[in-house]
Amino acid sequence: MKRVNFFYSTKLTFDDYVHNHSFALRIIPPETDTQHILSCNLNIAPHTPTQQTVDAFGNNVTAGYIRDDHRFLDFEIKGSAQVDSTKHRTDYMPCYLYQSQYTKPGCELKTFYENIKLKCTGTVSEKAEYICNMISETIEYKKGFTDTTTTAEQAFVLKKGVCQDFSHILISLLRMDGISARYIAGLAFCDGETHSWVEYWTGERWEGIDPANNCPVNDDYIVISQGRDFRDCAIDRGVMFGKYTKQLQLVRSELN
Amino acid sequence: MIGVINMTQQVQFTKAVGNASEINELLRRYGVKFGIYKNGVFKEQFFPFDPIPRVITAEDFGSMEKGLAQRVNALNEFLYDIYHEKKIVRDGIIPEDFIYISKGYLAECEGVTPKNKVYSHISGIDLVQAKNGEWYILEDNLRIPSGASYPLIARDLTRIAAPQAFEENSVVDNRGYAELLKETMENVNCGGARAILTPGRYNAAYFEHSYLAELTGSVLVQNDELFVEDNILYHHTYSGGKSRIGVLYRRIADEYLDPLTFLPESLIGIPNLMEAYRSGNVGIINAPGNGVADDKGIYYFVPKMIKYYLDEEPILKNAPTYLPFYEEDMKYVMANLDKLVIKDVAEAGGYGVVFGNDLTKEKLEDFRKTIIAEPRRFIAQEVIDFLDLPIVEGDKTVMRKADLRAFVLSGAETKVWASGLTRFSRNPDSFVVNSSQGGGFKDTWVLSR
Repeated sequence: MKRVNFFYSTKLTFDDYVHNHSFALRIIPPETDTQHILSCNLNIAPHTPTQQTVDAFGNNVTAGYIRDDHRFLDFEIKGSAQVDSTKHRTDYMPCYLYQSQYTKPGCELKTFYENIKLKCTGTVSEKAEYICNMISETIEYKKGFTDTTTTAEQAFVLKKGVCQDFSHILISLLRMDGISARYIAGLAFCDGETHSWVEYWTGERWEGIDPANNCPVNDDYIVISQGRDFRDCAIDRGVMFGKYTKQLQLVRSELN
Repeated sequence: MIGVINMTQQVQFTKAVGNASEINELLRRYGVKFGIYKNGVFKEQFFPFDPIPRVITAEDFGSMEKGLAQRVNALNEFLYDIYHEKKIVRDGIIPEDFIYISKGYLAECEGVTPKNKVYSHISGIDLVQAKNGEWYILEDNLRIPSGASYPLIARDLTRIAAPQAFEENSVVDNRGYAELLKETMENVNCGGARAILTPGRYNAAYFEHSYLAELTGSVLVQNDELFVEDNILYHHTYSGGKSRIGVLYRRIADEYLDPLTFLPESLIGIPNLMEAYRSGNVGIINAPGNGVADDKGIYYFVPKMIKYYLDEEPILKNAPTYLPFYEEDMKYVMANLDKLVIKDVAEAGGYGVVFGNDLTKEKLEDFRKTIIAEPRRFIAQEVIDFLDLPIVEGDKTVMRKADLRAFVLSGAETKVWASGLTRFSRNPDSFVVNSSQGGGFKDTWVLSR
């Protein structure tokens, strides 16, 4: 058990005025069996009224609408939580057993699975650790080769990627092996930005595993959102009108 | 032969409605069109109307009505169950795979309860009548079934062209559809105006969207006139203000409904509509996620659902159907492939339907391999020898295949509209009657006695 302070901020700057801007943020960490949120403040600028709901995957959604012209959208969360990774979550959904948009395997991932399948034995945790080891031997952690639209298969073909890609590849392989798995977006000590890892279902509860660092998840991780893959966990999604062509996104996060 | 109209009666109905050319001329003048995309080009065409009505006896309609309401009630129970407790899967009635591999299943809708638990407010159930008079269900359409406006306007115009037809025959008035639809919308209205959302005039069913809006006194809107603020759906008014929408009859597909929940590239959706819906601030007709219940693979299980949820025997039969997913059914399908009709579960609009006896030997063998490789993708059905209906062609009457789309509306009660869209194939050798495939339509008369 550990008490953790967290901070996360995003600054979106547009190169021209935008208006009728609808957004949905998945940014407020949920209260779960493994993390008790002691405090959490969300600030949004320009100031705008927002509404909170909980989506199908258990994520806190903050929705808002800015009608007038604006050139930026900033949001930040600041808070503290009590994290206890010896406890476990049990919020299961059957859809986590099935491949989703980002994890659907192609030829290369299927062949890789065929090659490792025979040695992938034992308990669910042993299998997950084995697959995670195989991924770290095959994929190199490297920034700049993939982006948020890269699928598991595409990253696997490149043999390079970041935490999001490692998570998608692991989820794809676990599901091929008949193990339910979900994507977690959150904050971790190792990173200056947001992090992503995986939870697999043992049959009774979720266990966390961090494929980008090839290690189990401990008290140094805070869950922000979860889902079938990145698509369900995007921290911010928005639709706006205007002539702008580019947006600049600056992200900063801290755990201590 | 219960429920089959005899020759003498048929001649009487044919005479009563007189000449087609006049009504088709009126339909043209009213702009009753049906748009189709062919090779990527949008073409609007007239949906050819045949004046000889399909006639259903009062007795026949009585049992059909009970059967349809029963089926739709079970499907609504199923949808609630799938997006909540999933008892039917846990109890082993439907294999889990069939739910979660279905493209129509939307995990985003898990746990969302639509107002009054109605999922399929407007159901279009397609049936055919076999030569022995028995009706069979061909498929359920629980997403945005179109077509109700065609028999509605055709009836109106027939009244103008041949008023005597309705003096000589006791036909149930079908103009009640507007009232029925309004009731259905009001039943799930969360406070505000009624609106029909259309993707615009380049949509196949634009005529219908505008016609139904007019008949029900609903606002006809496109997405850029709507926005969600404080999780409430609003309509921009002309004076620059906003007015609240309480129920949205949307005529766009689930995937395009809300770019912040579903396809981010959708340009025809409303951002954060799902948040307003989840918060219970707007009714959406039909509920998002219904596709899991009208999947061709799930069709096989509907009679089982009726027993499971309602503890009743199904009144209307499914066409005899086989799922290659089950070993035993696969054997039967392989042995009888040349006699069966095979449907790709992912396709709609008459696409992906293959008749075994139309294939050459080579193609049949190729197809066999495809089915073995992807058994979950197909269902196989016996070809029903269905009743031909007379249609006017030039100055002759010829017999063609036809089906019936019945409209079932679930408001406070589930009611069946005493009419429906009869579609026929103009090609004498074709069994496919879908309007996307160039067929025509007829009015459907339900006799009052």
